[in-house]
Amino acid sequence: MGRKPALLFDLLVLIAITTACRDPFEPEVTDADLGILVVEGFIETNGAESKITLSRTAPISQTDLSRPEMGASLRLVSETGEMWQFAETAAGEYKLAEILDNNKIYELSISLPDGSEFKSKPMKPIVSPEIEEVGFLRDEFGVEIFLSTQGNEEAEYFLWEYKEHWIFFPGVISFLKFEKGQVSTRGEDERIDRCWTSNIFPKIILQDAARFENNTILQRELVRIPNMSEKLSRRYSIEITQRALDREAYDFWEILRKNSDDIGGIFSPLPSILKSNIIPAEGTVREAIGHISIGQSSSKRIYINNADVAPWRVFIPDYEFCIIFPDTIPPNQAALAFNNDTRVPAREIWDGPALLGYHASTKQCTDCTLRGTNKAPDFWEN
Amino acid sequence: MSIRAIILLILIGIGRLGFAQEISQDGQRITGLFPGISFERFASQIESKTEFRFYFDEKALSETQVNISAKENTLSQILTGIFEGSEFRFFIDERKRVFITQGAPLDNSLNPDFFKTLEDQQTLDSLQRQKDIDRVYSRNKLYILGETNPSKTGTATLRGNITSLENGTPVNGAIVFEKINYTRAISNDKGNYEIKLPTGRHVLFIQNLGGFVEQRQINLVGDGILDISIEENIISLSEVTISSEKMSNIGRPEMGVQKLNIASMKKIPAVLGEVDVIRSILTLPGVQTVGEASVGFNVRGGAADQNLILYNHSTIYNPSHLFGLFSAFNPDLVESVDLYKAGVPVKYGGRLSSVLNVNGKYGNPDKVTVRGGIGLLTGRLSVDGPLGPNTSFSLGARSTYSDWLLKILEENTDFQNGAANFYDFDLHFSQKIGQKNVLRFNGYGSRDRFRFDPDTTFQYQNQNFNLGWTHYFNEKLEMEVVLGRDSYEFGIEGRDNPSNAYNFGFEIKQNFAKANFRYELDERHTLQFGINALQYQLSPGSIAPEGPESIVVPKTVSQEQAFETSIFLGDDFEVNDKITVNYGARYVFYSFVGPNTVNIYQEGVPRTPASLIGERTYGSGETIQSYSGPEFRISGRYAINNISSVKLGYNTNRQFIHLLTNNAAIAPTDIWKLSDPHIKPQWGDQISLGYYRNFKVDKYEFSVEAYHRNMRNLIDFRSGAVLILNEALEQSVLNTDGRAYGAEFLLRKNQGKLSGWVSYTYSRSLLRTAAAETAEKINNGEWYPSNFDQPHNVVLVTNYAWSRRFSTSLLGNYSTGRPITLPVAKFNYGGSERVYFSERNAYRIPDYFRLDFSMNIEGNHKVRKLAHSSWSIGVYNLLGRRNPYSVYFTPVNGVLKGYQLSIFAEPIPFITYNFRF
Repeated sequence: MGRKPALLFDLLVLIAITTACRDPFEPEVTDADLGILVVEGFIETNGAESKITLSRTAPISQTDLSRPEMGASLRLVSETGEMWQFAETAAGEYKLAEILDNNKIYELSISLPDGSEFKSKPMKPIVSPEIEEVGFLRDEFGVEIFLSTQGNEEAEYFLWEYKEHWIFFPGVISFLKFEKGQVSTRGEDERIDRCWTSNIFPKIILQDAARFENNTILQRELVRIPNMSEKLSRRYSIEITQRALDREAYDFWEILRKNSDDIGGIFSPLPSILKSNIIPAEGTVREAIGHISIGQSSSKRIYINNADVAPWRVFIPDYEFCIIFPDTIPPNQAALAFNNDTRVPAREIWDGPALLGYHASTKQCTDCTLRGTNKAPDFWEN
Repeated sequence: MSIRAIILLILIGIGRLGFAQEISQDGQRITGLFPGISFERFASQIESKTEFRFYFDEKALSETQVNISAKENTLSQILTGIFEGSEFRFFIDERKRVFITQGAPLDNSLNPDFFKTLEDQQTLDSLQRQKDIDRVYSRNKLYILGETNPSKTGTATLRGNITSLENGTPVNGAIVFEKINYTRAISNDKGNYEIKLPTGRHVLFIQNLGGFVEQRQINLVGDGILDISIEENIISLSEVTISSEKMSNIGRPEMGVQKLNIASMKKIPAVLGEVDVIRSILTLPGVQTVGEASVGFNVRGGAADQNLILYNHSTIYNPSHLFGLFSAFNPDLVESVDLYKAGVPVKYGGRLSSVLNVNGKYGNPDKVTVRGGIGLLTGRLSVDGPLGPNTSFSLGARSTYSDWLLKILEENTDFQNGAANFYDFDLHFSQKIGQKNVLRFNGYGSRDRFRFDPDTTFQYQNQNFNLGWTHYFNEKLEMEVVLGRDSYEFGIEGRDNPSNAYNFGFEIKQNFAKANFRYELDERHTLQFGINALQYQLSPGSIAPEGPESIVVPKTVSQEQAFETSIFLGDDFEVNDKITVNYGARYVFYSFVGPNTVNIYQEGVPRTPASLIGERTYGSGETIQSYSGPEFRISGRYAINNISSVKLGYNTNRQFIHLLTNNAAIAPTDIWKLSDPHIKPQWGDQISLGYYRNFKVDKYEFSVEAYHRNMRNLIDFRSGAVLILNEALEQSVLNTDGRAYGAEFLLRKNQGKLSGWVSYTYSRSLLRTAAAETAEKINNGEWYPSNFDQPHNVVLVTNYAWSRRFSTSLLGNYSTGRPITLPVAKFNYGGSERVYFSERNAYRIPDYFRLDFSMNIEGNHKVRKLAHSSWSIGVYNLLGRRNPYSVYFTPVNGVLKGYQLSIFAEPIPFITYNFRF
């Protein structure tokens, strides 16, 4: 009479693995060249060099982005009528180094060779407080570099830029060179076994300090160095420049960041209009992109040695398959073996006092100058 | 076997007691009503009440219907009546054996063993199901209904609800009749019927078209309630349901109304195998969504927050789980869904675009049923049934048991460390008190928790409960009073590092009271009137530090309170056979009250920090700002003939609560905002015109509806708007006008092995920064497409029933890609390549196309086992088309690269096991 209910709670469920995915997308976006003026820069009030870059936008499809705007005239005018003229030191780069009164209000005007005129909204200098601390922390994921600073009522919105430099080693260490048919030892200036390189695509980091008690920014993570990174092969340096911005500039950078980094995720915001404080003068139809701020920035540099974070294993993908070839090349065959761009002498093989020959490797694996420079940067401290 | 036989005999014995008053055995005379039943049934009824035994060829008599009313008649008289004019003859021998033959009367000398005895077979058949026994019992029991009402003499009103014996769903279109005066009534879509009868004894017959006739013996003393469960066979269930929809589509005056019952929803292949309310309504014309992983839906070009989602009177603020993969409603507890795209009934208000009314089950009043299912991600279990003669309930829960899906969602992105889970539970309870009162309780709760990385956890929850009282004053007037509370909250737990650990919270609470009346003025007018009151308590956001090391400054945006009260009156007016008009109005009073502090700005300039000139603080309960105004709901039908009609409608709506979302879809972290002195209530109207026609004896149903909508005081955002923890939201918004128009074509096939529909919708949805808004003009103040403007949409839903147990479904969905703002130029800035965006929504993502396939395998119906099971097996996105959810550009190593993101990029197979016992 009573058949058991066929409850299949221990049912085996077929799970098929599937993926959500990102694919490259090439939209048929207009190839029209809008050529909108782009103004970038920060005017330092403490006599340090102020650089303003003028360029034009390129169509999305264009690969070469270098479109400097040359021959423009840039003038900074204070509310009391003083005027400073920027000098074009490189294509599209305009520079000025003056000590300016932090209590005055300034305007930047730009005249382009095509006759169009732009003027910035009035700008008030903001003095950034000193960076209190730049430190680092080794954890299971790598090294975190953080910053602490103390804002104030005037300086609530911060922007940090950083530059990283570090020493790295090639896959195969060689002190030898092949020159004029001869293998010889490299001099100090010719070293290829140890190089410096730098990060040229830094991210902008922004923070609104008003969120925190007394505008204190405590141990804000700025940079993360993942495990195995070459940056900590021997010695690493980071210089952080801190600028205090007004609300409008902060919004500009925040939108710029969001529009670039934060678009297209499931809950990402829609792109916003990028407002500029560079306003076209009457008669100029085209708008401009960019936000120029004025003030006094502060900066701080720290170094991290490999020993500070040891043990730190390094993996450089470029050098993954580097080996020293096992066959010995006798000295009399050196000229034949190394007279090309790929094979280079890596080791001398000695049998007591007698030079038996050389072990070879590739130039890719031995020459670190292919990825960096063997000259220490000017600021570098050992 | 023998035990069963004894039980049956006892029950037949009880049945005899009941029937004894109807059929007198004195001198073998018979009294009784045999309305349209099979001869076999008739014979078994006579056999069970008398000593007669029938012998006949079932096959030959299978077509014969008995439709006779007997009063003190002999069996001979009855049989003569039944077989009059037919080729059948009968013979009754002295042992009271009745032989029925074809052509000539039976010769007495024939060996009676030639025929098999019906008694044995009938006994066997009945024994196989306890259900039958119960039914025999209810059929023969005398129900005494109503309380004696001295003021009324003569007639009384009987009301009740007709549900399916098999699954407890309401039976639409069942006929309730008595055969003396041929009084009849038809149950509506909720299974409710109402019939006026003289007081006294009656035999009520309840017939579902194509189903069995059920009967009840009643003694009607006064107005009363009688709920009845009737048996339907599976095939006739859908046919009957749809048949009545067909008639109502042509006949009802409202337009833009779509109804789906759970049976039709089951035929639509669902993602991950679960019947899903919101995904089902997305197959209807005029309903669209911006993407697969989005929470809301857009009706006729309206934003997702313009839909009022009601679940047995509760407003559900977030109707989804897992970013919209599942809707918040447990399918086993849902009876049907009504979606009002235009013609919103006058009793509903508060949203501009639509009302989605999800009707939950109050439980089968006759038997306890347990249902459940196991899918790839979720398991669900529910139980419903009677608790007593006047009490029924349904209770259910659903939960995830695995979050594997998130592991594969956006693989190779930051989301692999994600985790997600949810649960929901439901309780619906119904209690009859006396004959004129019904009390109902509804409780609903849901909770979602998810994270994309280990540092930040999001959670949200709905909590709703309400208590309703339905009272029938007399046959003309009924009242429904509902009191309840709805709440929705979400939170974010940030645990990035101890110094900035925080908890963020948002909460909305809504207390409501509704009193709805229905009054049948006369045969041509039915009035609906009432009052709705709503109290909003909204906590727009608060952030608090977590742990002793955290230096996050606690911040709480001040609470908002408001009252929304509306009164309404509507009339269904049947002018004549051809013309029916449904007209009404609501008047809404809204007041935004203290305690609160409101910013004051200079007049005539954009609201910015610079134009802020002060603030004013209001005390508790003090009115800060009030808005009021009328809403009109008018629709009319002109029936051209039996199979076609034309309808015209106009309605206006007001909305006082707004969802602030800067995304294309609703995100679980979007906040709601009440109208205040700066943010005005949204207003919208809609004019619509429709033509409806059925073909081939209602086999096909065709409709076309066109509409135009205007909307005012919509909200768009200024550039860089920050919505969370913003004390001065008015500085971030843009007053925006909206406009939407379109046409919806639907062709539906309701009968036969192949059923389903195909719909095409053309719709546009446009926005424009209001002329008076000076802060910022999006696209220079021109019209621009809204984020959900998808002009072309085609949906194909087909179901092919290969047999009663096996059917296959195919769903096809095509729509224009949604608008997107794309980069049109690039430049270097801040060390990276950056993009310059086009005008708002100037481009579109690629078109969307998807096919889903599913097979539904029902358990064996013939074997009367206790558990009924079914399997649903299918593939979502059969073609594996990589439908982009969005496209975006991002610098990779300083070079700008375009990507398109697809949520379900591969075919996703699914399998779900469902059971019921």
